[in-house]
Amino acid sequence: MGSIKNQIFSSYQRNPDLFDEIYDEDGNVTDIYQKLFKLYGEHSIKDYVKLNTKAKSSFFNQGITFQVYGGKDTQEKIFPFDLFPRIIAPDEWNLIEKGAIQRSKALNLFLWDIYHDKKIIKQGIVPLDLISSSTNYLDQMNGIDPPGGIYNHISGTDIIKHKDGLFYVLEDNIRCPSGVSYVICNRTALKKALFGVFNHYKTHTVTNYAENLLELLESVKPKGVDIPNCVVITPGMFNSAFYEHSYLAKTMGVELVEGRDLFVENDFVYMKTIKGPLKVDVIYRRIDDLFIDPLEFKPDSSIGVPGLFAAYKKGNVTLANAPGTGVADDKAVYTYMPQIIKYYLDEEPILNNVHTYHCSRPDELKYVLEHVHELVIKPVDEAGGYGISIGNRLTKKEIETVKKQVKENPRKYVAQPIMSLSVHPTYIDETESFEQRHVDLRTFTILGKDKEFVLKGGLTRVALQRGNLVVNSSQGGGSKDTWVLKK
Amino acid sequence: MLARVANNLFWMGRYIERSEHIARYLNVNYFASLDAPNVKSQDRQFVLRSMLYMIGDPVTDAEIVLDEEDVLYNIGLNSQFPFSIINNVKAARENANSARDLISTELYESINKFYHFVLNYPKDVFVKNGLHDFTVNVTEMTAILRGKIRGTLLHDSVYAIILLGINIERATQITRIINTKYNDALESQGSYGNTFSNSFEWTTLLKCAESYDMMRRFYKKTPTSISTLEFLILNPNCPRSVMNSLNQVYKNIRILDADRKYKKESTAFLIGRVRAEYEYKFVEEIDKDIKSFIENILNSLNEISIKVEAEFFTY
Repeated sequence: MGSIKNQIFSSYQRNPDLFDEIYDEDGNVTDIYQKLFKLYGEHSIKDYVKLNTKAKSSFFNQGITFQVYGGKDTQEKIFPFDLFPRIIAPDEWNLIEKGAIQRSKALNLFLWDIYHDKKIIKQGIVPLDLISSSTNYLDQMNGIDPPGGIYNHISGTDIIKHKDGLFYVLEDNIRCPSGVSYVICNRTALKKALFGVFNHYKTHTVTNYAENLLELLESVKPKGVDIPNCVVITPGMFNSAFYEHSYLAKTMGVELVEGRDLFVENDFVYMKTIKGPLKVDVIYRRIDDLFIDPLEFKPDSSIGVPGLFAAYKKGNVTLANAPGTGVADDKAVYTYMPQIIKYYLDEEPILNNVHTYHCSRPDELKYVLEHVHELVIKPVDEAGGYGISIGNRLTKKEIETVKKQVKENPRKYVAQPIMSLSVHPTYIDETESFEQRHVDLRTFTILGKDKEFVLKGGLTRVALQRGNLVVNSSQGGGSKDTWVLKK
Repeated sequence: MLARVANNLFWMGRYIERSEHIARYLNVNYFASLDAPNVKSQDRQFVLRSMLYMIGDPVTDAEIVLDEEDVLYNIGLNSQFPFSIINNVKAARENANSARDLISTELYESINKFYHFVLNYPKDVFVKNGLHDFTVNVTEMTAILRGKIRGTLLHDSVYAIILLGINIERATQITRIINTKYNDALESQGSYGNTFSNSFEWTTLLKCAESYDMMRRFYKKTPTSISTLEFLILNPNCPRSVMNSLNQVYKNIRILDADRKYKKESTAFLIGRVRAEYEYKFVEEIDKDIKSFIENILNSLNEISIKVEAEFFTY
């Protein structure tokens, strides 16, 4: 089947060592991509370039951009978007969805436990060190019962497909995971550019995220409130994710506030409106823990609300996600996920964990130091793809530097075998053709009181540089529309 | 609605409106002067000074010789020049950005397109032969924005705040334009066949307010100082008149403050008073002393703006 005349893919070079999502081992287009392959093939490269340019300018005009800091000027850029979608088959998705919910639930129970009785530590399943030396563990959260018993209301799970064709979780993001607005924008952009292709597939919608999010926020309202006033709090319009904050507020129909719009009086939170103060009950916060309240955390935070944490402690306002969740998406906790899932849910993990070496353990540290060239070494507490070193990319000198860093502060690092992310045909501007690029998938899970929801789609992120494995947008990554097919 | 965001929306409205008036002023005055019937009105220096006077950066020293390209660039595209169109559009978009969750996607997208159009307009083209194209586009894009504001927003407090901003700014700009053209008419007096009351500048003034055709329809005569002032200040049916703007301001303040009987310190009360003052004015009163009329109305508008700010944007 791969032999049909197809201009767009005619120069596509398939590296047989990589797991290509649209070709099987014999070089044939897989069933699920057959129609798409044919439909895209009907375009000439010239047509395709035109469509691509149009889609880009549509993002630009809509102001769906992010700011890139550094250099002389702050620049406004669009998040690179690829018009060739990624398709996920119903049974594969089923696995991902169940797996993502399982992890979110287990992490929630784990958080409850470590901020209450700490049974899992007392029973020796995970070491005390895991929380005692974590910078993200908030002592202030000890003994606090968040409304509805939920800590990680919104989780972003980063999943990859390895060479073996199996899904692995790379990271759980349960602080303020971002990217969901792009899932929806990508879909809109693709629909505008190539509406015809949707007629041939039965794809789940992604536009129901906001309603589910609002339902969640309302479900975890403080006690005694009938109809809660929910808001989204943003660090401000210069934040790189501001578009997403405003998008979520707009689609939920709630106010987008900044810290300076809120104040606390008698441990209740109010926002300053044109008609005077109005009580706020639920805050979907997109500000990191340490900045939410200058009285409790960083005293020089200008984006937080003085007294907010005290109001939270009294149960007068709900914060989503709860403060202190960061301790559980620490990369060191990640390595215990199979045990954590087993302990709280008595289930086997549905999604695989990548084997991890803890540099804090002397024997494993030794192994890591000897094998730096074939491992990925990550700081445990950094987000956004910063500080990652990939062994087979390093020069001898760089390897020595990494070794030194790890030796100096072993607790700060974990190491994993280099995972080979699957590749997906991606249009590359410079060569005006499709090339293989590594992709991952971020799913968005909502966990509420008696509510669980995974957005049927998710953000497929693409590392646009050839051979690059880091897909974060801050590192030059792009994204694709992601189709979850109906059964 | 948040007080901070209301402030942003108010100024978004003002900046959009302001950029439009400047663009029209540039366009009409520049092109009218090219074949104006008297020497003074044809004079480049005279027109450039008039433009600078209108935007609020007057050059009083008669010795200074202005450079046309410089003046046009400054008013149009120089982002270092505080009164420029580009700065107004930037400010409009920045204000829209922070209220993005409240306005419609359609409105935001139009503002954003407007911003990118102005930002990317090539400077050389603009000062050499792009003046017409640029200013006409600015006027049309602002017309689209007004359409999107009216047609895609919920007519609630968000809408009322934006319209308050637009109309206060419109009345202010029209008054400033009247003031400038009044000065121009005084200065161009005495040229051949050009007296103050039937000066060529009144026609230009009406065109600056996009009101020339309708004024002709209404009076069926060549514009004079009296009829022009009456039309642009007092005629409630002329969409650009001060009276019409005040009526709009009054209408929209009632959305924000629906009390039947206003407290005397409220914004609504002040607006009602100012509006009543002009509703029962006649043009001969104004014509007697245009200078103090202009001072008076600008003061009132400023007072309203300060009052709006104090009542709704601070807490």
